[in-house]
Formats: sequence, C-alpha cells, structure tokens
Amino acid sequence: MIDALQAMASVLFDPYLVFLIFITTVLGVVIGVLPGLGATTGAALLLPFTLTMQPVHAIAVLATIYVSATFAGSITAILINTPGTSAAAATTFDGYPLAQRGEAGRALGIAVVSSTIGGVFSVIVLCIAAPMLARVAYEFRPPEYFALALFGLSMLASISAGGTVRNLIAGVFGVWLATIGAEPTTGIERFMFGNYELYEGLAFVPVFIGLFAMSELLIQSKRANQVVDKITMKAVKLPSRDDYKRIWKTVLRSCGIGTFIGILPAEGATVASMIGYAEARRWSKNKEEFGKGAIEGIAGAEAANNAATGGAMVPTMVLGIPGSGTTAVILVGLMVHGLRPGPYLFTEQVDTVYQIFGAMLLANLLFLAMGLYASKLFARISLVPLQLLWPIVFALATIGAYALSSSLLDVWIALIFGVIGFLARRHGFAVAPIAVGLILGEMVETNFQNSLKMFEGDWWRILTQPLAALFLLLAFLGLFSSPIANWFSRRRS
Amino acid sequence: MHFLVIPGIIAAFSVAVIYAALQLELSPAMIVGDSLQPRVFPVLLMVINLILAACLAFQYWTKSPKKIHWGGLQTWGSIALWVIFYPITVYIDMLIAIAVIMFAMCLLWGERRIYVAGALALATPTVIFFLFDKALRVRFPRGLLTNWYYG
Repeated sequence: MIDALQAMASVLFDPYLVFLIFITTVLGVVIGVLPGLGATTGAALLLPFTLTMQPVHAIAVLATIYVSATFAGSITAILINTPGTSAAAATTFDGYPLAQRGEAGRALGIAVVSSTIGGVFSVIVLCIAAPMLARVAYEFRPPEYFALALFGLSMLASISAGGTVRNLIAGVFGVWLATIGAEPTTGIERFMFGNYELYEGLAFVPVFIGLFAMSELLIQSKRANQVVDKITMKAVKLPSRDDYKRIWKTVLRSCGIGTFIGILPAEGATVASMIGYAEARRWSKNKEEFGKGAIEGIAGAEAANNAATGGAMVPTMVLGIPGSGTTAVILVGLMVHGLRPGPYLFTEQVDTVYQIFGAMLLANLLFLAMGLYASKLFARISLVPLQLLWPIVFALATIGAYALSSSLLDVWIALIFGVIGFLARRHGFAVAPIAVGLILGEMVETNFQNSLKMFEGDWWRILTQPLAALFLLLAFLGLFSSPIANWFSRRRS
Repeated sequence: MHFLVIPGIIAAFSVAVIYAALQLELSPAMIVGDSLQPRVFPVLLMVINLILAACLAFQYWTKSPKKIHWGGLQTWGSIALWVIFYPITVYIDMLIAIAVIMFAMCLLWGERRIYVAGALALATPTVIFFLFDKALRVRFPRGLLTNWYYG
C-alpha cells in the first residue's frame, strides 16, 4: 500500500508529467466544452500524439482527457443549455434553469465541486478495488475470459443508447471486424481480399478515429450555422454552507452510484449521470424544484458522471474489458505502448499503474481550480463557429490516422468508418459496441478456441466452470431481463 | 415493406460474409485439433446477426422506426469532399489535399469570410505537419510538397 502511495506521489516529482497533466487538463476542458467533441473523440484524436511518449505519460494524457472532458461538458450544459458531452446531458435539466435565474456562477460552483468529489472518490475506489479484482482475475482461464468478454459485450448492448437488438448487431459487427486478417492459430487469411496490409487485422486507432471523430463531424454538419443563446456570468461561486447541507447526501450517493456503474462494462458516465440525477430527485425533499434549478439535480448528475470515470478504469485495466468508447481508446493506448491490460499489469507494471492513478487524481484537482477560476473563459471557447472547428478536426483526424503506422490505408479506413459510424448512428445503432466488439473480438474467439481445446471439443463444458457460468448467466440476464419483464407487464395489463 | 430495409441490408451483409467465409481455406485437422476451422467463427457471428436482423424486422414491424433525417448539403457535401480527398492525396500531396478539403469544408459549412477559411486551411496542416515531423518524427507520404521538403 505504501509502495502504491509512493508511486502515486511520484507523479508530483516528475515535472514533465505534471506539465503534461496540466496542459492536457486544459485541453480536456476545451474538448469538453466544444459541442460534439467529448472525451472519446478527444482521446481518439490525441492518441497519435502520444506515440513518442513514455507509456506512463501517454496513458496519463489519455486518462486526464477522459476525466477533464467529462467534467467540462457541464460548463456549456449550464451556460448555453448544450451539454459539451453526453455525460452532461442530465446537468442541463437543472443547471440551465438555475443559470437563467441569474445564478450561473452558483450552478457552476456546485457542478465543479461535485465533479471533483466524484472524481477523487472514484480514483480512491480504483486504487483499492483494482488490485483486489486483479488477484481474483489471476485465476481466470480461457473459459472465464470467454464468458467475461461476452458479459462485457452484453452489458454494453443492453445499457448503451439505442436498442438492445441494434447494439447487439453493432457489437457482433465489431467482433466480426476483429476476424479480418490472419487467423491467430492457423494463420489462414480471412476477409483481406488480397490486401496484405490487413494481415495483422484492422488497426484500432483509425477505426476509432473514424467511428468517433469522423462520424461526429458528419453528425455535427446539420448544426452548421446554428445560433446558441448564451448566458452571461460574473464569476463562479463556491457552494455556500447551506448549499453543502443540501447536497452532501446527494453527492455521496452519486459517488457510489457513479463508481458502481462505471465498474460495470457499460456506457459509464452518461448512464451514471442519468441515474445519479434520478436518484437525487427520488430522495429529495424538494422534488417540485427539479427541472427548475434544483442544486441537488446538478450535484447528483455531476458527482455521478465523474465518479464513473475511475470506476470504468477498473475493468479496463484489470480485465482488458473496456466499459465505454473512451476506455476503449485508453485500452488501445495501453496496447500501443506495450502495456498488456489484465491482472499481470498489477505485478509487472505496478508503478506505472499507480502513476496513472496518481495522474487521474491530480487531473481531478486541477480541473477543480480551472473550473472555479476559468469557466467563464472556457465557456467562450464553446462559441467557436462549427464551420471553423470541424475542418480542424478533419485535419487532425486524417493525419492522426496516418501517423500510427505511416499508412495511407489507415486514412481510408478512418474515412470509411466515419461514414459507417454516421449511417449507424443515424439509424439508432450506437458505435461504442462496434469499437468494444473490435477490441474484444480476438479475446472472444481465441478464448473460445482455447476452451474447446481444454475440453476436447465439448463446448458445453464451459458451463461447468462456476465463474464462466456466472458471467454467462449475467450476460443472459443483462440481455433478456428487460424484454422478459416488459412482456410480463404487458400480459398483466 | 419499409420496415424491412435496414434488417434487409444487415441480412444481405451477413449472407455475403457467410459466402466469403465459406470460400476460406480449410486448415489441416492436425493443426485445428479440437478447435474450430477459421471459417466457423465468422459464420457463427453472421448467423447470430441474421437472427438479430429478424428480431429487428419484428421490432420495426410492431413499432415503426423514427423517420431518419438524412442530413443536408453540408453532410453529403462533406462526404463528397472525402471522396475527392483520395485522388488529391494519391496523385498530388496529402497536405495539399487536407488544405483543399478544409477550405472547401469551411465554405460548405457556411463560412463567408474567404480569407478566414483560406488562412485556416493553410495554417492548420502546416502546424500539424511540423508538429508530427519534428516532434513525433512521422514521415508523410511522398507528394508535391513533401518531395520538395524531404528532397
């Protein structure tokens, strides 16, 4: 434990890392306030810039973007009623009405403080829970990993935006994408159509840049020339003693909710903030104020969405199962830098892991300062015209896609997946399951094949393994509990 | 029949993948052992997708999907610009292609100040190029400008 604390504290003695975290926190807040960009797109765009960095620095940059962009979405949610990220959507419900009443500074103060508490809480949980989970995960064999990957995909499909069936289709498509290239055991080429650049499979980075950044560009194109109403604000105010009295229970509850939902392999921050908001309303004595500027609503949503960031890092780092689009990008970052996600990360690279956690903690504290003293400035950035912002994103995305392996094919892949992502999203298919399916595809296939070898071809013997059976049962419940419950309630009515 | 369009496209894609998978080579039994032939897993996935496509068709039949807003000139114009990006990159230069597309995209999305669009289209690729070239040591593909720069 002392070693872990020392490793976390060592972040403060690496001036370059502190500088990087500071710059990235500013960048993350800028990305968070720019409409449409968000943590996932920001991390995907920044990943190529981390190529020459040391692994710790690179992952710290990506994790900082995740943390700070998730928080920053609340600035525009409160000031211009436009959530900078989907995770801040629930913040608009009460943040904007409070701002309209002339209390924008108070609303932002509550959002900043709640976000910081949520973020710090979740990093503490991450530090405690991740090594414990890693100890359990040492015992996992191919059947458990196969079942776990299916569980991850099923959770993502059942909880993500869009319908379960559509998300499952997207997830299966993602897993199929992972079969492109040479088959791992036999080396037989699959779906390469003579293109040997695909021998090692589709590169994750260009696919992610396409799915998240390029498709968002096309989605945002319909908002070109849109005029937003902005609210003026004098300064951000720290919550008063009365405010703290009103929100402390809500913040604590949302910290727990957000961290728990983040740990589940699902779309953490967005779902967490919605549930955090709903629970804040359910437990509040002032229910009638909700939707009109209730400070518990802002605190509930903001504490939950930032608490989800630390939670979501638990399965990503310990099991190699990303819980959302952003953690999928971070997972790819780990792989690109030669860090093997999984329980062995906690024995082979323990200092690196805790330095990353330390970086996340520092980022949470830095955005507290930035949120309090620079929100007004950041809010202005959100008014950058889309017709200037998105062409820059296009340039960053194309060069970023090219940079990883200096291949033009990667640029075409990014553009093609941009169009695929756009069409999918237009028809209600979430793109995160495609990305997660692509990452988990090899894990699913390889572990299924190894399980078959273990059990001499009897696939059903996977079910005889208690943990594997538990994960498969959870996957089944995750997928079918809601439709079955709906069917019963329809029959009853 | 409107409800069948999207599930139909998914089903057609799945069938095409199954067909392509069935053309894959078979691996010797000695290598595969108790495991699966390389074609089996993709076929399995696409069979699942066919079942899901049928479920989706049923969902759309019981409850019509929301009408899709296909996007306007900016959306499809941007996609058209990406198509143009390919020949300019391959036959002229990637950085010139980025500048041209950025300039056109600015105007397409409603920027009326041509000098602003022009300045942005020139400055952004230049800054990004030097950042990647000097700091990240990424070599860009050969083209008109890069031939001149790299020599």
